Amino acid sequence: MARDSDGGAAKDRGEVSTATASSANQEQRRRIRNSVERRAIVGLAVATIALLLGIFYYPVATVFIDSVLVEGRWTGRVFVSILQDPFYLGEPARLLAGEPAGAVIEAFLSPDRRLGVIGFTAYQAALSTVASVALGLPAAYLLARYEFPGRRTLRSLTILPFVLPSIMVGVGFVATFGRNGTLNAVLGALGLGQVDLLFTLEAVVIAHAFYNAPLVARVTTAAWESVDASAVETARSLGASPLRAFRDVVAPQLYPSVLMGAALTFVFTFSTFPIVLALGGFQLATVEVFVYRLIRDLEYAEAAALALIELGISLGLLYAYLRYEAKHTVQSRGIRPLPRRPLRPPSLSVRELLPRMGLTVYAVVALAVFVAPIASMVLASLSGPEGLTLANYQFLIDRQTTGASFQVQPWDAVRNSLLFGVASLAVALPMGVVVAVLTTRDYRGRKVVDAVAMAPLAVSGIVVGLGLLRGLVFGVEVGGSRIAVGGGLAIVAAHAVAGYPFVVRTVAPGLESIDHTLVESARALGAPRARALLDIELPLVWPAVVAGAAFAFAISIGEFSATVVLASGTNQFTMPIAIERFIGRRLGPATAMGVVLLVVTSASFLLIDRLGGDDVGF
Amino acid sequence: MDRTSTPAVELDGVTRRYGETTAVGDLSLSIQDGEFFTLVGPSGCGKTTTLRLIAGFEDPTQGGIRFGGESVTGVPPEDRDVGVVFQNYALFPHMSVGENVGYGLSFTDPPGGGSDEARVRELLELVDLGEMADRDPDTLSGGQQQRVAMARALAPGPDVLLLDEPMSALDAKLRERLRVQVREIQQELGITTIYVTHDQEEALAVSDHVAVMHDGTPEQVAPPRTIYREPATEFVATFVGDNNVLSGEVTAVRSTDDADDNGDGSEQSIADVTVDDATFSVALNGDSDPTAAVSSGDRLTFCVRPERLAVDADRNALTATVTSAEFLGETTRVHLDWEGRELLLRTEDPPTGTVTVGFAPTDAHIVDRQP
Repeated sequence: MARDSDGGAAKDRGEVSTATASSANQEQRRRIRNSVERRAIVGLAVATIALLLGIFYYPVATVFIDSVLVEGRWTGRVFVSILQDPFYLGEPARLLAGEPAGAVIEAFLSPDRRLGVIGFTAYQAALSTVASVALGLPAAYLLARYEFPGRRTLRSLTILPFVLPSIMVGVGFVATFGRNGTLNAVLGALGLGQVDLLFTLEAVVIAHAFYNAPLVARVTTAAWESVDASAVETARSLGASPLRAFRDVVAPQLYPSVLMGAALTFVFTFSTFPIVLALGGFQLATVEVFVYRLIRDLEYAEAAALALIELGISLGLLYAYLRYEAKHTVQSRGIRPLPRRPLRPPSLSVRELLPRMGLTVYAVVALAVFVAPIASMVLASLSGPEGLTLANYQFLIDRQTTGASFQVQPWDAVRNSLLFGVASLAVALPMGVVVAVLTTRDYRGRKVVDAVAMAPLAVSGIVVGLGLLRGLVFGVEVGGSRIAVGGGLAIVAAHAVAGYPFVVRTVAPGLESIDHTLVESARALGAPRARALLDIELPLVWPAVVAGAAFAFAISIGEFSATVVLASGTNQFTMPIAIERFIGRRLGPATAMGVVLLVVTSASFLLIDRLGGDDVGF
Repeated sequence: MDRTSTPAVELDGVTRRYGETTAVGDLSLSIQDGEFFTLVGPSGCGKTTTLRLIAGFEDPTQGGIRFGGESVTGVPPEDRDVGVVFQNYALFPHMSVGENVGYGLSFTDPPGGGSDEARVRELLELVDLGEMADRDPDTLSGGQQQRVAMARALAPGPDVLLLDEPMSALDAKLRERLRVQVREIQQELGITTIYVTHDQEEALAVSDHVAVMHDGTPEQVAPPRTIYREPATEFVATFVGDNNVLSGEVTAVRSTDDADDNGDGSEQSIADVTVDDATFSVALNGDSDPTAAVSSGDRLTFCVRPERLAVDADRNALTATVTSAEFLGETTRVHLDWEGRELLLRTEDPPTGTVTVGFAPTDAHIVDRQP
C-alpha cells in the first residue's frame, strides 16, 4: 500500500526485485523526484525568508543600530534630543524636555504655536485625508450607484495611482499649478489674476488627494456594491424613507471601508516624500524630506532616529486601525447588489436631477484634480516658447549625445530603469508567489509570517535605501572579509522589497479562492504538494501572477525614495531621479521624461487591468 | 465475504478534534477488502471528517489508521493509493477531460502495463464517456462531470476508492441512475469503496455495510437490511426511514408459543409494556442483543415501522386521530395523533377521522432498555 511510506519501503524493495530492472529504475527515479518535490516548498520558503532578511530586515536593523550606536557607544541620546527638540516635535517637545505642562499648553493654544516637523507632517496628512475622503466618496457613489458607458474603465482606473510614479505626478502638478502652468494660462485667458500654488500646502494636499482619493473610492465602491438590495428593500417595506434606509442600512456597511481608506491615506501621506520634494521644497518639509536632507548632510544617526520615529508612528496608527477593523468588520454577503441608476435622468423631477447636478459639479472638480496634471504634463512636454514643439524630447536626445559625464544622461536613465525593473521583477515575482503560498495556508504562526512578509508595505523606501546604503553598499564584515554590493544591486534589492508585496496582494486572493478539493484531488492522485502547486494552483491564478508582475515592474519603474538615497553620487539614476534632477531647472525636459515614464507605467497598468487587477487585496 | 482476512482499511480508536470541538470521537471501523462501505449520518456527524482522515487530508488527534494492516500515520495523501471523488467533483478546470483522467498517471504507471493514453481511454469507456476526452470539463453536465471525476480517481488503480457525497449536487432521478452505475463499476473492479452520504436511502440501496454516524461515533455498523429491520439505537431507528418510537415500563415478561402472538407459532419471549394507559405486547430481540435480558420494571423503548401499523388490527390496538396525510404516490404517509404523540402510518388506503391501528409483537423492535 503506502508506496513511499517509511513502513512500506522494505516491502517495496521486495516487490521491486520481482519487477523488471527498468521499472525498478523508473521507480527509483520517480522516488527521487518525489522527494525533491516534497521538499521544494520548504526550500523555497527558507530561501525567500533568507532573502527577505538580507534585503529588508538586515538593512532596517542597520538603520536602527545607526541611531542607537553612536561613535561605538550605545545610547538613546539621539532619540531623546529629537523628541525634546521643538523643531521636530513642536510645543509638545517642551513637555518631554521637562517644562511645566501649563506653560506648554498655553503656548500650544496661542496663535504662534510651533507644530514642528512631525506636527506639520501629521497636520498635512490630516488635511490630505479629509481632501481624499471628500474627493473619493462622490466617486464611490457614482461608481456604485450609476450605470453609464465607461463605468468599468473608470472603476479600474482607480488602481492607476498605485503604479503612477509620484515624482511624475509631481511634475504634472508643477506643470498645472506653476507660474507658467495651465491653471494660470486658463485664468489669464478668462481675464482673471495669476495664482502661484507651487510650494504651498494647498498644492501638496491636492496632489495627495490625487493619489489617495481613488483608493478611498475603490474600497468604498467595493463595500457599496456588496450591500444586499433586499436589506434595503426590507427597510423600505418596514416604513423607512430612502434617506432613512440609507442611513440605517447602507451607511453602516460603508463606514468601515471609508475608515480603511482614510487610515491608509493618513499613513501614506504621513510618510510622503517625492510629492513634497517636488511641490513643497524644503520650506514645506515633512519628516521624510528631512530624513532625506539629513542623509545628504551625512547625519546618519539623526536621520535614522527620525526615520524610526516616523516608522513607529505609522505602525502605531496601522496597528490601531487594524485593531479597530478586527472588532468592527461588517460581514456582508452581496447576494443581490443594489440596482444601478442610469446617469441620464429618467424624469425631470427634483429628486432625479439634484444628485445628478451634484455629480456634474463633482466631475468638473475631478477633471481639474485627476486629469489636469497628466494632461498639463503632456502638454508642457510638447510646448515651447513658439507653441507646439518636440524640442523637449530633442533636448533629451541631445543631452545624451553631447552631455558631460556628470550630467544626467537621459538614455542611461531609461536603460537603468528598465534594467532595474526587469531585475527586481525577477526577484520580486518568485518572492511574492512564495509568500502568497505561505500566507494562504493554514498552519500555526501564519499570522506572524503574514506580518513579517507584509512589513515592507509600511516601511518607507528611505529607510530601506538608507539601510542598504549603510549596510551592504558601504560593506559588511563577514568572517574577516568585507562584502559590499554595488549601488545597482542595492537598488534592485530595494525595488524588489517595494514590489513583492504587490505580487502577494494580487496572487494571494486568487490562491485563497481556489477550491481546496482541487489540490486534495491532485494529491490523492499522487501529486506531492509542490507538484499540485505547479500543476493546479499556479495555472489557475496565472492572470493574477502576471498582474502582480506588472505591478512589481511598475513599482520599480516609479520607485523614488530608496533610489534617490542609493543613486546619489553614482551614475545609477533612473527615470524618476532624472526627472527630479531636471525639475528645478528645466521643466520641459522633466515633463518629456515624465511622458516616457507615463507610457511605460500605463502599459503596465493595462496589463494589470486586463489580467485581474480587480482582485487586488486592498 | 471473508471476515477473517486483514481488513483493507482499519480505524482504531481514531479521534479528531478541532480546538474544543470533537469531530470524530474514538472511532473504530474495519472495512473489508472489496466491500462497498457507507458512512451515513446527518450533517456534522463526522462522516466527511472520517473520510478525510482515511484519505490523509487530516491527521487524527489520537488513534491509528491502517491500510492492509500497515499503519499510514504520517503518510501523505499522495502515497496512500486512494482515489477520491468529491461532492463538487473538483475537476481541474484548465485541463481537458482526458488530461484530468490522465493526471494521476504522471505519478505512477498504469496498472497492468500499457500506455497512459490507453488507460485514459479504458477508464472513459468504463464510465460511458469514451468520446469526451478532448472536451472541457465545463461543457459537461453534472452527471458527466461526476463520472469523469470517478474515472480520474480510478485511473491510477487505487487500492481504496473514497466517495464524498458524490451525488448530492445532482437531481433525484439522475442520482438513482448513477448510484446503480457506481455500484456496478465497484463490483466489476472489486475495489474497496468507502462512500459518504447523508441520504439514508442511497446508503441502503448500494452498500454491503453501512455505518450510521451520530456525533462523531458510529451508532451501528451492519448490512443495510439489519440497519433497517433491527436498528441498534433510537437514533438509527428514526434516522433510517420513518419510525414510531414508544417508551414505557415493563409490567410482565412471558414466554409464549401462542400462535396469535407471532405468525409462525414458534416460541417467543414477550414483554408487556405500559405506555401511559395502554399496554403493548412487544417481542424481545434475540439472545445476542443486549436489550434481550428484560425484566419487570425496566423501561423499554421500542419502535414500529409505519408500514407495520395495520388499520383496524386488534393486536396492540390504539385509537388515534388523523391530523394530516401526505400522498407519496405508491403509498400515503398519514400523521396520527395518539394522546399527544405523533405517530406515522403508511398505507395505500388512507383513513380519515378516528382510526384504530395495531401491530404484531414481532413487528416491534426494541432499541433501548433502562433497568
